[in-house]
This record gives sequence, C-alpha cells and structure tokens, in this order.
Amino acid sequence: MKLDSPTLSLLLAFLFIAFAQPVQAQNKLGSTELNVPAKLAAESQQVQAGQSVTLAFVMEPKPTWHGYWENPGDAGIGMSFEWDLPAGVTAGKAQFPVPDTLLISSIMNYIYKGDYAVLVNLVISENTPLGSLPISVKSEWLACTDEICVPEQDELSITLQVVNPDAAVSLNNAFNDYRDAMPRPLGSQATFSSSNDIFRISIPLPANVDVDDPYFFIKEDGIVDYAAEQRVNRDGDRLIIETTARGDSLDKVTGILKIGNKMGFSLDAAKGDVTMTGTPIGGVDGGNFGGGGGQNNTSLLFLALGGAIVGGLLLNLMPCVFPILSLKAISLAKAGGDETIVRRDALAYTAGVVVVATVLGAILLGLRASGAAVGWAFQLQDPRIIFVLLALVTAIAFNLAGMFELPNISMGSKLTEKEGPAGSFWTGALAAFVATPCTGPFMAAALGATIVLPPIAALLIFAGLGVGLALPFLLIAFVPAIRKRLPKPGAWLDSFRKVMAIPMFLTAIGLIWLLGRQIGSDALSLTLIFMLAIALLLWWYGVGQLKGAARGLVTTGAIFVAIVGGIFALPNDEQMTVQQQAAAATETLPSEPFSETRLAELRAANQPVFAYFTADWCITCKANEAAAVQRQETADAFEAGNVAVLMGDWTRPDPVISKFLEKHGRAGVPLYLYYAPGQEPVILPQILTVGTLTDLVNTPIETASTL
Amino acid sequence: MRNLTLIPTIAITAIALASPLGAAQKNGAIAQDFKLTDASGKTVQLSKFRGKNVVLEWHNPGCPFVQKHYESGNMQATQAAARKQGTIWLTINSGAKGKQGHMTGSKVKTLLKDQGSKPTHYLLDMKGLVGKAYAAKTTPHMYIINKSGKLVYQGGIDDKPTANKAHIAGARNHVTAALNELYSGKKISVASSRPYGCSVKYAS
Repeated sequence: MKLDSPTLSLLLAFLFIAFAQPVQAQNKLGSTELNVPAKLAAESQQVQAGQSVTLAFVMEPKPTWHGYWENPGDAGIGMSFEWDLPAGVTAGKAQFPVPDTLLISSIMNYIYKGDYAVLVNLVISENTPLGSLPISVKSEWLACTDEICVPEQDELSITLQVVNPDAAVSLNNAFNDYRDAMPRPLGSQATFSSSNDIFRISIPLPANVDVDDPYFFIKEDGIVDYAAEQRVNRDGDRLIIETTARGDSLDKVTGILKIGNKMGFSLDAAKGDVTMTGTPIGGVDGGNFGGGGGQNNTSLLFLALGGAIVGGLLLNLMPCVFPILSLKAISLAKAGGDETIVRRDALAYTAGVVVVATVLGAILLGLRASGAAVGWAFQLQDPRIIFVLLALVTAIAFNLAGMFELPNISMGSKLTEKEGPAGSFWTGALAAFVATPCTGPFMAAALGATIVLPPIAALLIFAGLGVGLALPFLLIAFVPAIRKRLPKPGAWLDSFRKVMAIPMFLTAIGLIWLLGRQIGSDALSLTLIFMLAIALLLWWYGVGQLKGAARGLVTTGAIFVAIVGGIFALPNDEQMTVQQQAAAATETLPSEPFSETRLAELRAANQPVFAYFTADWCITCKANEAAAVQRQETADAFEAGNVAVLMGDWTRPDPVISKFLEKHGRAGVPLYLYYAPGQEPVILPQILTVGTLTDLVNTPIETASTL
Repeated sequence: MRNLTLIPTIAITAIALASPLGAAQKNGAIAQDFKLTDASGKTVQLSKFRGKNVVLEWHNPGCPFVQKHYESGNMQATQAAARKQGTIWLTINSGAKGKQGHMTGSKVKTLLKDQGSKPTHYLLDMKGLVGKAYAAKTTPHMYIINKSGKLVYQGGIDDKPTANKAHIAGARNHVTAALNELYSGKKISVASSRPYGCSVKYAS
C-alpha cells in the first residue's frame, strides 16, 4: 500500500493529537456533571529525574457549593486519593489551603467556597528514564450546598515528560496563587491542654502580627467540639485560644491557625499547661450573639449597640433614675417658648449621660486590661462608693422632699432660668451614675459583647447605653408635640416633686441594705450616724435658705468632712468576709459556694447542677431569687431531682467568678446555668420563673411532631 | 428597690442564643429520655424500653451516605440481625420541614416497604430537639443504649467513611460488633467512633 503525501500528513496529525491529548487532564467518568469539578494540573510538564514536581487538584465549586478540608468538622468527608503511578514515582501527602468555617444549625463544617487547589508533591527517582510519564489518580470528595451533599469522584490523569537535567522547564504561574492560599508552617511549637471540658492552645505569635478573626482548625478528631465558640486572648508574643473539649486525649495535635482570609499557619502542639492569660480580642465565631457562620464582629456590634440603647431607655423607669428624669423632663418642658434653651439643655443632659457612661466603660476596660477581673457596676463592689452614692441619693431625696434647695440642680419652678447647660450636664452625669445599680436584664448581653469587641467598639456600646438613657429628653426637646402633651407646671408640681422623694428614699434604703450586707449591721449603724449628720447639715442649710442666710460654704465643708469621716469609719476587708459568710445561712434553697473544682466534681459524679451567679447589688438577681430561686417549690423539685446548687456571689470582686462569667460571654450577673448529667450546660433566661426551674428536673424532651 | 425590677421583656430576643447543639452525651451515662411520635402517630418514649437494648439510627433518605447503606442492604441486614437478638431499633428523622429528607407518616410507610426496612419505630423529630440533645451530627449517626438505659456506643455505622458501596464488604460494622459483644456479656471494644455522612438537616 502506497501512502500519498496528504494522507500521511493527516495520519501524522491524528497521531499527534492522540499523543498530545493526555497532557491535559481528562475526566474519564465525564458523563455526569460534577458540582465541584476537579482538574489536575502540573506546575511544569517537564520534570527531571531525581527532582520533584507539584501537582494541583484545581477544584472549582459551582456557586452555592463547597468542598471540605481534610478534617471536615462535624459532618462531611475529606478528600481521598488512589494513585496509579509509574515505577520510581511517589506521591506525597496532600496539602490543603486554609479553610473557612461554615456553621449550619450548630453543625460545624470546615470548607472551601470558591475555587481552591489541593497540592501534592511527586518525587521522581534518580533513575527514571527520559520520556513520557503517565500519572493517574482516582479521587473521591464530597460536594455540598448548605442543604444537600453529593459524593463525587473522578479519575484524573496527566502525562509528564522526563527531560534532561539541563533542559528548560517552564513553570505554571497559577501555582504561586495556589501556594499563597496554603498555611505556612509556624516553625515554633505550640502547647495545648485539655481538661475539665476545656481545650486551650497557646500559640507563639509575635505581638506585632495583626490577626483578624483568628480561628484554630484542628486536624485530629475527637479533641474539640467543633461547633463551640473559640475565645482568643493575646498575651505578649502568644495567642491563646480556648474552646470546649470533647474528651479524647492525645499527646500531640496539629492544625491551622487562621489569622485572616486565606492566611494561616500550620502548627503542631505538644501537651502542657495552658492558662487563659492576656487580654481577649475579637474573633468570636458564631458566639453568643448569632447562630450563623457568617456572623462577624460588625453585626455583633450593631446587635449589642441596639441592646445597649434599648437597655438605656428602659433604665429611665428604674426607681433610681425615674424621679430625676420626670422632674427634669417637666422643667425642660417648662422652658416653654424658648426652643433654643430647651434643646441646648437636652443636649447638655445627653452629653452628661454619655460622658459618664463612656468614662465608666473606659475605666472598666482599663481595669480589665490591667488584669483585674471586673464587670459592669464594678463600682458597687466597693462599700466606699456605695456610701458616697448613698449620701448623694439621700441628699437628692431630701431635696425632692423640700428640705432644702440647691442653686444649681434645682427642679423648683422659679429657678429654671438660672439652670444653664452646666446644670443639665451634671444632672445627666448624676442620672448615669445612679443608674448603674439598676442595670437591667437587657444590657447583660450587650455589655457582655464589650469583652470580645475591640476597645473602640466597646466604648461605642457604653456610649449607646448613655444615648438610650438620654433618649426621652432628646425626644421632649426636639419633638414639640410631645412637649405640648406634658402637664403644665403649677402648684401640683410641688406635690409631685415631694412624691418623687419616695422612690429616691427607696433607692437609699436599697443602698443601705446592700451596704449592710457588705459591712454588717454594727458598721452600718456607724455609717448611718454619719448619714444623719449629713441630713442635719442639709436641714440647717435649708433653714438658712428660708432666712436668706448664706450657709453654702460652711455646709459644703461640713458635709465633705462627714463623708470622708464616714469612709474612714467603714470596716476593712477581713471583717467583711466574715459578715458575708454569716449572711449565707438562712436560705430556702441551700447552696454551696461556687468553684470550678466543685462543679467538675459534681459533673464527674453525674449529678445535675444548678449554678447561679448573683450579687447583692444586682436587683435583677435579687428579684429572680425572690420570685423563683428561693422558693419552696424550687427547693422541693431540686431536692427530688438530687440537683446540687452552686452559688457564685459576685457582690465583692471575685476573679474566679469574673472569669467564669466571661467564659459565658457575660460582663455581669445574673447568670443561671443548668448542667444535666453528661450534657453541655444550658444558659437559662435572665428572668426566671418557678416553672423554668422545676421543669429542668426530670422532664424528658417532648416534641409534638405533627404528621 | 428589690421589688421594682421586672420590667417588660421585650426586645433583645434577637440576641437570644441560637439553640446550641446539645452536648455530646457521654458513654456510661443514662441516655437522655425523650418522647417522639412515630410514623403511625403513636407516641414512643425511650425509657419505656428499659430492659432491652436499643439502637438509635439517625436517618435522612435523601443523603447519599444513608443510601449507601440502604441500597446495598447493609443497614437492613444490621437491623434484622439486631432485632432477632431482641434489640429495639428506633430510626429517627430530625430533618426539618422543607429540608432534604424531611418525612411524613405516609411517606415513611412507603419508604420502609420499598426498602424492606423494619425498625421497631420510625420516629419524627422535625424540630430536631432529640437530635440536638444527642448531638446527632450526621446521617447515619448510630447510638446503642443498654438494658439499664445507659449509652454504650455512639458513632458511625462502620469504619469506612465513604459513600462507596464497594467499601462495605471490608468494613468493620461497629453496631453489629457492639451488639454481639453486649449480648455475650463482653466489654464493647469500640464504644465510640467518628460518625460520617451528611449533616443532620436541622431546623435552623
């Protein structure tokens, strides 16, 4: 058979195509369309004997689909590889890029959305002959959307060419991007600890490295609860992450510390002791404020800010604030015609409130940064501050009752004109300060957020609290329709003012009770004698006002002396501890003092535990205790269910309790937890009922599934 | 001061916690009791089965990993062997309405008939409360509760975490092994393993 020239060239062309084709990866199953299709690529098609070459599985998930990291998390499957390699070629371990978290209904997935590449090194042995080197691999992986999963597989192949050691090798630049997405080895070893259901890892990382939303992806299964929140502290050149442990124990764990988008370090950690030192930073992933994986600090900030503003607004109804508010509101409305003055005063008042709220917040953050474990209303843990507050509240109450007038902070009818913006500012400052003991249930979550947010954002939340508190004034000042609806001042106002002295006196009584709990009744009597002296001085001053005598300077000096004397007369810390223990005995529901060790013991013994955290200055706590906790029904139910009760008293600063609260995302009390045997604690609502508590005991989970 | 506190509980429910997945229950602890409605509308309570060994199987018929074990007949065989030993087999579906694998009574009956599956009860947990209490994460996710109500096994059906039916033959069936050990009074050699499969499609 004779071949003419065109036929020959056609044949050659076919042959060329046939042999050239395998250089490109092929999908041999090809029939069904994959949701996360894979392509196999080589960094260079020319390889030299004795060298290695990097291959990439280039994964291109369709929109809404994702693939999995080697440890897929709670569900899902990693990727598998079955290599078919010529003699002399060995494949290394697959290297995965830095993954993302995806939390769906409390099930954590470690995934990749968008294109990604998995890299594998092939080593070509020294004596591999020149020529083509067919590589093929059968791989399986799981492709999922948020709703469904499809196991996918493909047989991929590529043909490499073994070339002379001096031959030119061209590199595929796409591999630079693939490598950028890989975690970089950290170099120094981390330390981890796992005990009492808490996993901590301390990772060496220089203090000047910026981190954004840090997260530790652990490679080994069974060590941590993937879906649990990870709390991150920074302590000098270490980054410490704390989360819930799952119980398995190993001597070494490995994983990836993610510090930004596609930025992370691979590391291994040896077992050791890790404590949660340093200061918390942002990066709560799906923490207390959101269920979704996409939750970030910005939305946390807005939620918390909203909570702070609403909380501040509601504070106006509290007995310690309402009298100041109502009289101030009327005096504002009274300025009547002059819109400018009303608005100026409202703004000054707002400024006073916001400044004090922010300053208290800043002091709180500062104390916490310097290592003190404190929470909101920390100032009420100090009897000296309670005493000053008591003097202040008593003075306001006597003023409202009409015993004396103040030139500046008067709410009287004839003094409106004299009351400049400075007076309004200080009224606002006062309102914010006396409002702190009344911090209600609404603010707990918002204030808890201040722990995990960056300082500036945290201050914004404190300011938001102030704005909420001042909101009624701003409305009165800037909405004339509301102002018109306020009752016209008149003779009745004087009576109203006197009535308003009652809630103020109640506040004073509350503070006296609180002080008594802290210092004991002996010391309290002494303190009350100083209060009497102050009251007498104010009376003497008031009589002077009626006679037109100027006694302001003398009175101020004498009251100052009385307050300083009262502070010095307060007992010291030791006496107070004795007092506190004496107070604990007469409860309907007996309790043991809270400690982490005791909790762990009870948990280990499989006993159900009710742990509650309270403080005598927390009125929400006290209301809950009166209404639900210290009730015979609750005590009976808990006794029947053999529930151990642990009580953490935060009336005085206690770092153990502060840390425990912080661990549960709270800056303050109350916190109610129920530990069913062998289960995660349940955080109970901040407003308790007897039913909430008795239902905890021995109730099987019931659902009313309808068919 | 103490009594003037209970201000209205509006707002901030937005901040309320998303119900967390309950805890992994520990082996050796009394398994959380529950009541669920089965496919024929009957109320079934776990603690009523004290005195018998109980298998809980989390199920989602749309999940390829579940299909692996049903289309191959592996799950039915495991189930038949278990029931022959006197084990109570409770298949539980925690798929929320509108999510993959959500089932209703009539659909369940057809499915069980088609697949030749004979659980003691097929339970519907569309709110996911029981699933979350057991921290069931995948379908399938298997639990074994012994005669005194204690949890003795939790984890995967076997040790080959793939969707490939060809891998069933060489796999160690953890459930069958644990039940055999339980009935012959031996210690359960593998009492927990990593569950594998699709995530349970809980109501979010």
